[in-house]
Amino acid sequence: MRGALPMIALAALGLPLLAPLSSRAEPAMPGQAVAFDRSKGNCLACHTMKGGDVPSNVGPELADMKARFPDRKELYAIIFDEERRNPQTVMPPFGRDLILTPQEINEIVDFLYTL
Amino acid sequence: MSRRALAVVAAAGLAGLSCGALAATQSEFDAAYAAAAQAEAQAGALHDQWSPTEAALKAARQAAEEKRYDEASALARRAEALAKASISQAQAQQSLWREAVVK
Amino acid sequence: MIGRIGSIYRAAAAAALLFTSLLPAASAGPRIDPAGDQRAFQAYFERAFPGVALDDFANGPYAVNKEMRKQWEEIMQFPPYDFALDDGKRLFEAPFKNGKSYADCFPDRGIGIRQSYPYFDLRSGEVVTLDLAINRCREQNGEKPLPYEVGDMAAIDAYMASTSRGKPFDIRIPDDPRALAAYENGKKFFYERRGQLNFSCASCHVQAAGRRMRGDILAPALGMLASFPIYRSDWGSMGTVDRRFVSCNEQVRSLPLKPEDEAYRDLEYFLSYMSNGVAIAGPGTRP
Repeated sequence: MRGALPMIALAALGLPLLAPLSSRAEPAMPGQAVAFDRSKGNCLACHTMKGGDVPSNVGPELADMKARFPDRKELYAIIFDEERRNPQTVMPPFGRDLILTPQEINEIVDFLYTL
Repeated sequence: MSRRALAVVAAAGLAGLSCGALAATQSEFDAAYAAAAQAEAQAGALHDQWSPTEAALKAARQAAEEKRYDEASALARRAEALAKASISQAQAQQSLWREAVVK
Repeated sequence: MIGRIGSIYRAAAAAALLFTSLLPAASAGPRIDPAGDQRAFQAYFERAFPGVALDDFANGPYAVNKEMRKQWEEIMQFPPYDFALDDGKRLFEAPFKNGKSYADCFPDRGIGIRQSYPYFDLRSGEVVTLDLAINRCREQNGEKPLPYEVGDMAAIDAYMASTSRGKPFDIRIPDDPRALAAYENGKKFFYERRGQLNFSCASCHVQAAGRRMRGDILAPALGMLASFPIYRSDWGSMGTVDRRFVSCNEQVRSLPLKPEDEAYRDLEYFLSYMSNGVAIAGPGTRP
């Protein structure tokens, strides 16, 4: 119990935990866990995508990602700081504001390319 | 070093922050914390403090109290990075907010 | 420190206003034009939601989504705010220890006045919300102020809103540089991005209004405050405008302000003024 609280605190800080999410089945890709985690990417809050079962439409549906974004750098940049490209976007700048680490963004890109 | 501390140091490293020496001292922590607190005060003056910054500061103090200075220093550096990001946001918004106004 | 910066900002805004008013309209610098802002704001939502009547915007997500409206109509068979409404009426009518009551503090004895709040108090030079006025009334009569956001405050607020249903929001911005500065301050707060997630109020409630965020429909900013206080299923209880502002700030990972902070009052002033003409419908319910 004593160990659990700091872990929760770390999760609240958005710091990556080394401990795996033990209670759930291992997702196919680490990027999917980061994408779906509400304290991390929380992509399903705004996007409809395969594997998520909510009809969010604040942002566009995420499908055919490889065809739509053949340049990996472009997709990375959108997740890192879309405001730089589109000043009126409502997409959080996940990299710029330290919501996700560069590694986590790369994992999400890997996962998006499977959609 | 605990697994928790490892996670924090790893996180700080991944976030592109400089990783302190493995055995941080109290004075290293104090310096890191003072820098973070100063940045957070500046964010406050700009009316743009972030809850993750406050949480990182609090966790840093807690770790330092328990003499886990590596973890405490990493948390303080994360808090400073967050506070600086909030300052950049506030400064940019001083003029950018007008672009969003319904016209 | 924060207060001082705030007042410097305000003084600067007031000075800027004074300056621009001495120059022809074509001069540089942002002109503070509440009436023009309001026309543009309401026109934006009329375009975004064709066929939604102005008053219906008070009903937030239910006004702009058919499925949700159906659920709402079922919920309204037994409105979840009814308990608070009964409490509020009783609390409102109960005399203070000195024999006076809330009715003695308000115009028209506090009945049917919700639509005029917040107002700009020319004497004190600040925005006064209904909740602030309720607590000032208590203090003037030797009673302790109530905690904001929930509980008795939400209940009294609910009762006072219920006596004002159908009366259109009628917020005035007096021709006074301090009032215009407060308005501009609230407008800035509304459009300014904040918090680690980098959202402004407008990100969700203007740009993404009506869209789905998981199971929720983002409410349009127009008319939003007309149905406060609200019973929110998500909260499992009643909440005031302050509670909504605080929780919105928390959701974008911004450190929330204290209830009735000057910036929140200015925001409520701006947002209520944008909704002038929308009839009071409070208390309301939300998912």
